[in-house]
Amino acid sequence: MADTMEPADPLRATTAAASTDLKIAEAGTADYEVALESLNQWQLAWRRFRRHHMAILGSSFLFIMISIAVLGPIVWPYDPNDIPGALKPGGDAPSLDPLTHLFGTDFGGRSVLQLVIVGARISVSIGLFTMLIATTIGVTIGALAGFAGGRLDGFLMRFVDLMLAIPFLFVILVAARFFGGGDPLTLIIIFGLLFWPGLARLVRALYLSLREAEFVQAARAVGVSDTRITFRHILPNALGPIVVSATLIMAGAIVTEAFVSFLNFGIRATDVSWGNALANSQGYLLQGNWWWPFFPGMAIALTVIAVNFIGDGLRDALDPRSKE
Amino acid sequence: MSKYILRRSLGLIPLLLGIVLISFTLMKLAPGGPQTQFNQNPRVTEEQIEAWLARWCIERTPNPLSIVREFGGWFGVFNCETDSFLSESGGLNFLPTALGGGDNGIIHGDLGLSIVSAQPVVDVIAERIPATLILTSVALVLWVTFAILLGVVAAVKRYSVFDQVVTFLAYIFYSLPTFWLGLMFIFFFSVTLRWFPPQGIVSARDWPPFNTPQYWEAFGMDPLAAILDIGAHLILPVTVLVLVNIAGDSRFVRASMLESLNQDYVRTAKAKGLKRNTVIMKHTFRNAMLPVVTNIALNLPFLFSGAIVTETIFSWKGMGLLFIEGVNARDYFLLMGLILITSTLVIVANLVADVVYAIVDPRIRYD
Repeated sequence: MADTMEPADPLRATTAAASTDLKIAEAGTADYEVALESLNQWQLAWRRFRRHHMAILGSSFLFIMISIAVLGPIVWPYDPNDIPGALKPGGDAPSLDPLTHLFGTDFGGRSVLQLVIVGARISVSIGLFTMLIATTIGVTIGALAGFAGGRLDGFLMRFVDLMLAIPFLFVILVAARFFGGGDPLTLIIIFGLLFWPGLARLVRALYLSLREAEFVQAARAVGVSDTRITFRHILPNALGPIVVSATLIMAGAIVTEAFVSFLNFGIRATDVSWGNALANSQGYLLQGNWWWPFFPGMAIALTVIAVNFIGDGLRDALDPRSKE
Repeated sequence: MSKYILRRSLGLIPLLLGIVLISFTLMKLAPGGPQTQFNQNPRVTEEQIEAWLARWCIERTPNPLSIVREFGGWFGVFNCETDSFLSESGGLNFLPTALGGGDNGIIHGDLGLSIVSAQPVVDVIAERIPATLILTSVALVLWVTFAILLGVVAAVKRYSVFDQVVTFLAYIFYSLPTFWLGLMFIFFFSVTLRWFPPQGIVSARDWPPFNTPQYWEAFGMDPLAAILDIGAHLILPVTVLVLVNIAGDSRFVRASMLESLNQDYVRTAKAKGLKRNTVIMKHTFRNAMLPVVTNIALNLPFLFSGAIVTETIFSWKGMGLLFIEGVNARDYFLLMGLILITSTLVIVANLVADVVYAIVDPRIRYD
C-alpha cells in the first residue's frame, strides 16, 4: 500500500502533528513552547485508518450501499412485484436500452437497476447481521475458552473442531431447506450460527498468548482486576485480528447468500436479493443478455471488495504496535 | 512423536462419529424425503410409496426413534431385515459377519445403495471421481505453481510496481464470487466469442457421455481428439478455479517469504557476502516454503471432494455436482457416503499437515 511508503515521522506517534508544525512555524525561533497533545488508542487508530486510501474508499462505498439498502426501496418509486411482462405469453424479452432502463431489463421487463437497489436490502443486511451474530458468538466462546482453560476449553475446542470439519455447504443447504422457506431472517440466523467457529479458535489463540504477555503480567502485578485486564489490556491488542475476521465473515456471508440463492436453496423467489437475481438470469445467459447477471454480480463483487479493503485498513489501524 | 500421532489419530474417531451423527440428524429433519421424486407421477399410489419407503427402511415422518434406527442401519449396529439389533443369523448385528453379525452398515465396509439409482454408493462415487480428478488436479497444479511464482517475486521486489499490481489483482479476485466469474466467463468466451464450449466435460454431439464404456471405446479409437475435446471443456472451469485460488495463496506465499527474508540467518548470509540469488533461493525460499507446503497439504481433500460451485456452473459432472444432486433428491445414503469420505479426507489432511509441520520445523513442540 502506498501509505506505508511515506517516511516515518517519529513525532507523529505521540503528537498532533499538523497543529504542532503550525505552531512552531508561527512561533519562529523566539518561542519553543510546543503544544503536545496526547492521543488515545482510538484517535491514533483513526488517524492510521484515514491514511489508508483504499479503506476510506471502501468505507464510502459501503456507506452508500447501506444507504441504498435502507432508503432504496422507500425512495424507489416502483413496486418490485410489479412485473410488466408477467401477463404476456413468453414474457418480455430482456433488453438493454440505457435510456429507458440504465442497467437493462430482465425477463419480466423489470429494470435490473431496480433489482440491484431492492436486492441491496436483503443482501447487505445478511452480511451485516451475520457478522454481528457470528462475531458475538465467536468472541464470547473464544475468550471463554482462552481465559478459563482446562476442561471447558477442551470441550469448547472439540466442538469448534467438529463445526469446522462438517462440510459447511452441506449444513447450509440442508438447514436452509429445513428452516427456510426462503425467509431472509432465517438465513441470517443460520449463517450467524455457522460462521463463528473459525473466529472462536482465533480469539482463543489470541487470549492464550496475550494472557502470558508481559504487559498483562505487569498489570496483574499492580493489582488490576481481571475484568479490566480482559477489556482494557487484552481486548485492544486482540481487536485487530478480530475485526479483520469480522469483515471476512461479512464478505463471506454476502457471497454465500448469493450462492445459496443461486442454487435455489436461499431467498424465496418472491423476494429480491442479488443472488436471487443472478439465479434467475442463469437460464437466459446463453441467449446473450449479459446485463441481467452482470449488474447484481457487480454489486456483490464491489461490496465484498469494499468490505475487504475496510478490513485491511482496520488491520493496520488497530495494531497497537504499529509505528505510524 | 509416534505417541502424538497415535493420540491425534484416536481423537479423529469421535470427531468423525460426531460429524456423521449431526449430518444424518440434520438431513432427516429437513422436510420432504426421497419419495418427493414421485410427486409428479400420478400413476404412483400412496400404498406404493409406503411400500417403497419401507423397503429402504425410511420413516416418512421421522421421530427420534426412527432416526436412531435409520442411523443404526447405516452405521451397522441395527438390522433393518430383522428390525432389531440382531442379525439374520441371530448374533449381535455390529459383530463382524464371520462372528454372526450382519453385513450392512459402514462398520461392515458397506456404504449402502444410492436411493435414486439403486446402485452401490461406492460405485456411484467411483464413477464421478475421474471427472473431478481431471478438473481439480490440473487446477491445483497450476494455481500452486503460479501462486508460488507470483508470491516469491512480489516478496523479493516488495513495494515495486509488480508487487502492487499483484496485490491489487489478488484483492479483486479474492473478492469476486466464483459463480459470478464463471457466468461472465461463459457469456464472454462461450456465447460472444465462441472460443470454448460453455458446459459439460465432452461435446455431447460427438462423444458418448464421459466415463461410460462407450466413451472409453470411442476414446481408444481417437485418443488425441478425445483429449483435445476434454481440454477445450477444461479451460474455462480451470481458469476460474486458478484465478480465485491464486489470489489467497499468493498472498500467503508472499507473507511467508517476507517473514523469512527478515530472519537473522538471512542477514548473516548477506553479511557473509553471498550472492543475492543464493541467499534468496537457498536460505530464504526453502524456509519460506515450509508453511506453504503444509498449506498445500490442507488442499489435498479438494482433489476428491471437488469444486461444488465451479462444477455447478459448468455442469461438470463430478463429485461437487453429485453432492448437489444428492441434496436435491434427498438421496440420504449417497449424501452420507459423500460426507463420510469428504470429512475423513479433510480431518486426515489436517493431521498430516500438523505432523509434517512438526517434523520439518524443530521449533514446534508436540505434547
